[in-house]
Amino acid sequence: MTDSLFSCLIENPLQCTVVVNNVEHQVPAQLSVAGALLYLGHRQVRQHSVSGEARAPFCHMGVCFECLVTINKGQQQRACLQQVMPNMRIDTVTKELTQ
Amino acid sequence: MNKIYDYLIIGAGPAGMAGAIEASKAALSVLVLDQASSAGGQIYRNLGQTKPQQAFVLGNDYLAGRPLLAEFMAANCDYKPQAQVWHIETHEQGFIVSALINGESTTYVASHLLLAHGAMERPMAIPGWHKPGVMTAGAGQILLKSSGLLPKEVILAGSGPLLLLLAQQYRAGGVTIKALLDTTPKANYWRALPWLVAGLTTPKQLIKGLWLTLAQRIKVPYITGVSDLQITGEHSACGVRYTVAGTVHNIACEVIMLHQGLISETQMGQLLGCSQRWSDVKQCWHTQVGAAGQTSVAKIQVAGDAGAVGGGYVAQLQGRIAGLTRAHNAGKIQTRQSKVRLIWLKLRVKQLNWAQGLVERLYQPAKWLSKPSGCTIVCRCEQVSAATITSIASAGCAGVNQLKGFTRAGMGPCQGRQCGLNMGYLVANAQNRPMSKVQPLSVRPPLSPISLGQLAKGTDW
Repeated sequence: MTDSLFSCLIENPLQCTVVVNNVEHQVPAQLSVAGALLYLGHRQVRQHSVSGEARAPFCHMGVCFECLVTINKGQQQRACLQQVMPNMRIDTVTKELTQ
Repeated sequence: MNKIYDYLIIGAGPAGMAGAIEASKAALSVLVLDQASSAGGQIYRNLGQTKPQQAFVLGNDYLAGRPLLAEFMAANCDYKPQAQVWHIETHEQGFIVSALINGESTTYVASHLLLAHGAMERPMAIPGWHKPGVMTAGAGQILLKSSGLLPKEVILAGSGPLLLLLAQQYRAGGVTIKALLDTTPKANYWRALPWLVAGLTTPKQLIKGLWLTLAQRIKVPYITGVSDLQITGEHSACGVRYTVAGTVHNIACEVIMLHQGLISETQMGQLLGCSQRWSDVKQCWHTQVGAAGQTSVAKIQVAGDAGAVGGGYVAQLQGRIAGLTRAHNAGKIQTRQSKVRLIWLKLRVKQLNWAQGLVERLYQPAKWLSKPSGCTIVCRCEQVSAATITSIASAGCAGVNQLKGFTRAGMGPCQGRQCGLNMGYLVANAQNRPMSKVQPLSVRPPLSPISLGQLAKGTDW
């Protein structure tokens, strides 16, 4: 995690608590899970199962499957298709199941 | 036994919403299944919940979707958001549609289908496009619509109206656009020139388009004639390298958005056996669709960008045509007034599609972008390079489906959506065949991944 490359233009947004990789964060409530990860400064959300290279959300419309993360223990969820919910647990994937 | 719907619509974008409005007005039982959490499709994504700051940045064309959205929300139809259709089977009573909703597979039965699932962005396979920091321009716009997120600084690269619109919106939002790298080939301007006549039939759009283009050229660092574009940076994007008139340039930036137009999503149509056609002008496969939305398969209609990319307004009109036609065929409306309206709608779509010819020719993708080479990743899911694909294609591989077996390209979770077109181009190039003779990747269920647990939860046997 580093400084975020993205900012939220909505002033005083409603906040929502999410738990990303076991750490609690406050994020604007209207964010998608993929949006929340970018907002919090995650440059990558998973490692590629074949090459091990870092990957990040790409299409944000459910086509590319690059943003697969674990949401509330459900594996391989597309982060771009879900909105953050209070106390949602989001885990980025550093080691894929196939390994 | 499930209720049998008269009309099941897949997608709640402008086409799906309009189809549902018209069919439900005629007292048909309608079900709309949509992947997103709220109606609107990509063009009007999150329109119902948009905040004032977002509305200001996104502009009037986005807000123009409000009446349609309101009409849809008031329509007497069933609507299921966050429903991912993963299979459609034909059945004696029509179709059985399986969708994943809340982690559970649910089936619906309908006598007639309207596919209105829209388009996707044309994959732009340049070196490094798989690295973190690179996303599509459509993704950038969706982040803005759904989440109100803006990059602090960005490079936009490629060609097409969406790229220019995004530049405009980002400027309104105070984003630093480090460069807009235009890959539109100069020859396209000459090729499109005769089509200016077609464009003149929709003067309002033409002026809007010209204004949008001019404004970006003046107000952002706008670089034309870009080729040999690549992403620099080892593990994630650090910038771009490109060539203009033989000179190589570098620009540093950690967020890069690519775009080279939209292509129809054909997977659902292909699965259902609707005949497909290659378009040289549009440079993509699409389902063959008649003026009333009919396909080669009885009881299946297609409307909007799912059939041919024509934009939100055309999609809405096509949705209305499809819904009205369905109602007419069911004997639910027979008035002269509605028949006249149908004829008028069809004429309007014809005219708008003709005018669209200008945009299609102007923003046809550059030839070099359909020839990825070397270690450029073509299949992102299975990490298959252009060189691997070309070497197998050159050895006489029969087509993209055999190529899939040899290389695993197209076998990943996106199921060939990101690589299928470029695999086709590489086979066509290596074997000197026209694209129309290189069959697209075949489609099999599930259309999107589903776990055995999810499948088992939804069964009622």
